[in-house]
Amino acid sequence: MIGILICQIALSVVLASVFLIRPSLTSTLGWKILAFIGLCVLPALCIVGGMNAHVQRSEQTRFCISCHVMIPYGQSLYIDDASHIPAQHFQNHRVPANMACYSCHADYGIYGPLYDKVQGLRRIYIQFVSTPPDPASIRIQGGFKNAQCLHCHLGARDFEENPVHAAMMDTLKSNQTSCLTSGCHDTAHDVASLSHQKFWKPVQ
Amino acid sequence: MKLSGIGIQRLLQVSSALVIVGLLVEIVSLLWFHPLSFVLFAFVAGTLVALGVLTYLVSLVIVVTPPSD
Repeated sequence: MIGILICQIALSVVLASVFLIRPSLTSTLGWKILAFIGLCVLPALCIVGGMNAHVQRSEQTRFCISCHVMIPYGQSLYIDDASHIPAQHFQNHRVPANMACYSCHADYGIYGPLYDKVQGLRRIYIQFVSTPPDPASIRIQGGFKNAQCLHCHLGARDFEENPVHAAMMDTLKSNQTSCLTSGCHDTAHDVASLSHQKFWKPVQ
Repeated sequence: MKLSGIGIQRLLQVSSALVIVGLLVEIVSLLWFHPLSFVLFAFVAGTLVALGVLTYLVSLVIVVTPPSD
């Protein structure tokens, strides 16, 4: 997809170059139309396509762990212990492996993707301008919301037929009982213990 | 320098140059797999292309007065 986009950008550059070298060509109607396409329509389409490509790229697991502080979180996906929720989901493909971070951490609300991008820019600022935090001290602002889990698990038979889940379904839905911090599924990205862990396959 | 004295052809050249540089920066941002590539795209490429398109649109609406001999 990026290849097609780059071809489109190259075409736009060639067309714009014509008007850079010979602006006098726009004296005729045909060239005026071509100038409108080359200097307005195509560049706008290239920017829209580029934005789409960048947004899709930012959903990839390898993009998330390309930030230095996120590397331990990427390594934690390979921990060989089923009680580690992210590792279990990643290794068993309960989330798409190439979108593992995004699947559990994206805000699925209507303004979620926009909010995530703003948060991403804030993290880039912290990484490159401010002081990056210690990876083990990173916490999700406002805590991990059950909606992230329920987005997939709600309606799943083994989840809803589980008597523990069924008994507290209302409080799970209202976020009064946290999936992660109520003591049921409390091991997520334990990056402080990485040096003591056994890994499912060599850490990349 | 008065804007009307610049001439539509000069505006077209400025617009073309901005669009070309912006699009080349966009290509770099697409080929560079790094968290900063989005910043490069959004704040550099996007701004340059937007300025280029704006300059082109301005050239369409400005009534250009030919320089007097």
